[in-house]
Amino acid sequence: MCKIIAASIAVGTFFAFADPSLAVDRDGGAQLAAMCASCHRLDGGDDGIPTILGMSPELLTRAMLSYRSRERPSHIMRAIALSLSDEEIATVARYLAALSRQVRP
Amino acid sequence: MKSRTRREFGCLTGAMVLAGLGPRLAAGEAKAKVVVVGGGIGGATAAKYLAASARTIEVTLVEPKPRYTTCFFSNLYLAGLCSLESLTHGYETLAQRYGINVIHDSVTAVDPVGKTVGLKNGPKLPYDRVVVAPGIAFNYEALAGYDEAATQIIPHAWNAGPQTQLLRRQLENMEDGGVFVLVAPPNPFRCPPAPYERASLVAYYFKQHKPHSRILILDAKDSFNAQDLFLDAWERHYRGMIEWLPAQFTGGIKAIDVKERSVKTASETFKAAVANIIPPQMAGQFAQQNGLVDQSGWCPIDPITFESKLQPGIHVVGDASSAGDMPKSAFVANSQAKACAFAITAALTTSERQPPHLFNTCYTFLSPDDAVSNAVSFKPAAGTIKIIDNFVSQVQESVETRHRTAREAQSWYAAFTRDTFG
Repeated sequence: MCKIIAASIAVGTFFAFADPSLAVDRDGGAQLAAMCASCHRLDGGDDGIPTILGMSPELLTRAMLSYRSRERPSHIMRAIALSLSDEEIATVARYLAALSRQVRP
Repeated sequence: MKSRTRREFGCLTGAMVLAGLGPRLAAGEAKAKVVVVGGGIGGATAAKYLAASARTIEVTLVEPKPRYTTCFFSNLYLAGLCSLESLTHGYETLAQRYGINVIHDSVTAVDPVGKTVGLKNGPKLPYDRVVVAPGIAFNYEALAGYDEAATQIIPHAWNAGPQTQLLRRQLENMEDGGVFVLVAPPNPFRCPPAPYERASLVAYYFKQHKPHSRILILDAKDSFNAQDLFLDAWERHYRGMIEWLPAQFTGGIKAIDVKERSVKTASETFKAAVANIIPPQMAGQFAQQNGLVDQSGWCPIDPITFESKLQPGIHVVGDASSAGDMPKSAFVANSQAKACAFAITAALTTSERQPPHLFNTCYTFLSPDDAVSNAVSFKPAAGTIKIIDNFVSQVQESVETRHRTAREAQSWYAAFTRDTFG
């Protein structure tokens, strides 16, 4: 399973531009990230809930999978991880990694 | 992926997380117009995500009040643990950063034929879609002796602001040894754990300042949300201070005597030093007046787009919506508003529709450093919305875990209100 996700991260494409009107959300990553934004600040700020910016797609994916398997304890994150498909996890991980490069170049 | 330089990206703001949600505006193309009615959590979130999703959509947010005070966390204010100001948010960022046209006015009616929203003091607003987020109204008729005028003597404090301040003042002025009577409403109502969180935090305040005082909860129900967690916490933190009487014990709440500050039940009458009546609830007034409500008192909606089942082109999000298994909470309003904003964006532009992800997360304080949380995922199914997974804190958790959850709750509040108000 992890190999499949790694492969889909590797081949994924992400387009982002400073001007939102030029941006294209080809795979729904931005909509998935909007869900994260209910608890995690995505502007580079950090209010105590761990930031999810600055992580590589592989690291973020691994974290989500370990929440899903209960290897990492957090019932909130487990509910989120269980509700996302492997492909959606890869998509949002890619999106957040690309966003990180913009917010924290 | 080709890497880009910082220069190519230019200067970034928090709005950037939303970049990529929508298409470009073709030259000369008229913007689609969406009017959002109500600037609470559902309305503010919908306006923000619509505005950020597509430059091709012109978003107008109509809300009478200049600022919004959150009901969630207002029990901490009642316990003297935070200011009301710290729970109050303006609309400046939504207007300035996201280009939302914020109008502080009352909406008179929506005209689904002419496709306009009427304002009390301004011109009609034309629309392609409307999002209605009117929150709750109180069904005073279902509670003999209690009405809107009575709320100035016995507050409900179920909309945050002056009502919450009134209840806080009454608790501060109460003599030690008094009884605080809290009347808890029948289902469904805004924020299921909140009456019991309120009892917990008022008990915390009493314990610090009025140790001989007691709390009596007169419930319209026979059980309540996260009951085992509350009963365990009341035993640990406030032994002997909180008494909960279910409807099957009292025979049900029959009437309120405002002058006497007493609550009449089928079995006996209870007199209060301070009373808090949380009345039965229904969808907000605007929904009632504009044909959006069915016999249940709430607004039936499409579980994917949140479009009203009664009025095409009008979407309803937040507490007023009748959304299957989803409870009435701020987190749910925020989650629904995003799903609704993305569905409207897809309908009004050429962007692709993604399947919605619907969530609820609840943080509940049992004491300032003892908090629990609940996380639920949902999916649209068979014309309604069903629970997928439901995880909740456990009774036997360590003190450290509860401390950590309390700290996490404070962090969540900051991130969540930022997500909603920009």
